[in-house]
Amino acid sequence: MKIKHQLAIFNALTRLLVILILWLMLPILVENVVYRHINNGLIEKKKKFIEHLNQQEINDFIENKGDSTETYSQFSTLHSEFLVLSKVSVKFRQKETIFKKEYRIIEGEENEYRILQYHFVYENQGYQLEIGSSLSEVNDLTFIIRLFIIIVLVIILLVTFLADTVYIEYLLKPFYKIIDTKIKRVNEPEVFDHTPINAKSRDFRELDLVLNQMMDRIADVFKKEKQFISNVSHELLTPITLLKSKLENLLQNGSLDDNAIDKIAGSLKTLDMLKKIINNLLLISRIENNQYQSNENINFQEIISELQEDLQDRIEDKGIRFFNKIKHDFVFRGNKTLIHVLIYNLVTNAVKYNKPDGEIIVSDGLLQDRYFISIADSGIGLSESQIEQIFNRFARVSADQEGQGLGLAIAKSIAVFHHIEIKVSSVINEGTVFTLLFL
Amino acid sequence: MNVLIVEDNKEIAEEVCDFLCSAGYICKIANNCADALEEFGSNDYDAMLLDLGLPDGDGFEVLKAIRKTKSKIAVIVLTARGELDDRINGLHLGADDYLTKPFALTELAARLFAVIRRIHGFTLNNLGIHGFLLQLQDYKVSFNEVSINLTKKEFDIFQYLVLNKNRVITRLQLTEHIWGDILEINSDSNFIDVHVRNLRKKLDKHTSIDWFETVRNVGYRINE
Repeated sequence: MKIKHQLAIFNALTRLLVILILWLMLPILVENVVYRHINNGLIEKKKKFIEHLNQQEINDFIENKGDSTETYSQFSTLHSEFLVLSKVSVKFRQKETIFKKEYRIIEGEENEYRILQYHFVYENQGYQLEIGSSLSEVNDLTFIIRLFIIIVLVIILLVTFLADTVYIEYLLKPFYKIIDTKIKRVNEPEVFDHTPINAKSRDFRELDLVLNQMMDRIADVFKKEKQFISNVSHELLTPITLLKSKLENLLQNGSLDDNAIDKIAGSLKTLDMLKKIINNLLLISRIENNQYQSNENINFQEIISELQEDLQDRIEDKGIRFFNKIKHDFVFRGNKTLIHVLIYNLVTNAVKYNKPDGEIIVSDGLLQDRYFISIADSGIGLSESQIEQIFNRFARVSADQEGQGLGLAIAKSIAVFHHIEIKVSSVINEGTVFTLLFL
Repeated sequence: MNVLIVEDNKEIAEEVCDFLCSAGYICKIANNCADALEEFGSNDYDAMLLDLGLPDGDGFEVLKAIRKTKSKIAVIVLTARGELDDRINGLHLGADDYLTKPFALTELAARLFAVIRRIHGFTLNNLGIHGFLLQLQDYKVSFNEVSINLTKKEFDIFQYLVLNKNRVITRLQLTEHIWGDILEINSDSNFIDVHVRNLRKKLDKHTSIDWFETVRNVGYRINE
């Protein structure tokens, strides 16, 4: 998930939490604020009622009614308030004033009321005064407020979510620009774009600056390494050239006996090995130093056929059957010389480590939408621990093995350079399969 | 044939000079760009071996200057840099061939022969040895007008040995000539023996070839 989405979702969630808390707190708020207000109103009324109260009035209220209930009640026309005064026994005394919430039926209509209950004694007679105020309006109001809050908050939630997303996206734009233009498209430091990114946030300007500085350092290292490789090749290959020329001229000397010729030829062979080690190491360095272009269209059918022809002598010498089963017309863009070296190294290994009268099968296909070429031999095979090592420089799989163990190291470098994945599977004494998986 | 060797390493230049002189060329050495251009201006050369890393400049500058004149000189670029760019650059600027250091002197001789032959419009089309005639144009060999059927590799080997006659040619030199400078280390160079054996069998049918010598453990030599 991208950071802009994460931030927007986080903001939305925190807001949602605030809304939920408000929603849950609303009844308590109502109770505290509205009920207190109503209670105060009821107490006020009670005071007014009690203040003017005397026996005469009580009698007016209760006894003049002429019925036996000894209760006086009075209510407003819409039943929003009521007042009840009734006689109770003195011993049935409670706390003087209490508030409660109850349902009452007045004239057949049930409503919820906030009720003040007041007990008092007047001339040895206990009375209970109840003043009620309807809560239906309050309840209606609470419901409306809740609904309103929900609607407003949902709207706020949506609007702020959108605003957040847009703003975060705007803020992060330089970040993605840095990734796209500076990092993703840069394969080698020379093509790095040094123009500063226009960013409002200082963080990104700093990131950009640091990236530029880092790239400068890398470019510097690359340049130095390139220079070094060039120097090494010159300084090492020049004396080898000289030695080689001297030995070759010496070889033509007519007065040499067989032994001397043998030794000179042996020295030339060693010199040749030295040359090849240097050239191979330089090749790896050049690849890793990005000194090769990769803009040629490569046809594998062609490369394999060429290779088969080149290696025909060795293949025949070992009595190996070579099958070229390339079927697909896969066009790959890369460096033809390097790809040739890559496949050459794999095929010569397949020849070298094959059994007499064995076979080599080169085939291709698609694996999870990725094109692959596999080179399978019926050779001596490799163990798990050997497979781990074969791509290391100067790795020697067995003691009696010829060569310097650079072929597969080169193959690996070339593969990495072209973003090709090399997979190896092997069964001891049955053979090895090298698979090149293309992106 | 006059050859100008442009090479800053004097010892290498001398070795190349020795070798080419023994092959019948007349050689002169120049150690830097200035000397090379001066030599080129004052004498008539058929070919030039041009090292790229010279003390007073890039060998390409010499090549450019030479190509501006109407001279038909054959140029082989020699370099230790071995970079692909050099090859492309060199062939683009008008080098006729290209050899990376370290090269075999026998290979240089073969290349030199090929470029000079090309520059002179393929007037030299036949090589002869002990009655065998190599027709370079169409890769054919005949003995007293009887043509001998050789494979391309056998022909190449024969021609290489004839061009470097009276010299010991190691298996390695032959392998490199036939298969190119393969990167593989310790590549077995005995495959060449199969081809040489076949070649000798074919030649042997026509006449005694005791001049086609095997140098034990080392390689081959054709004596004139």
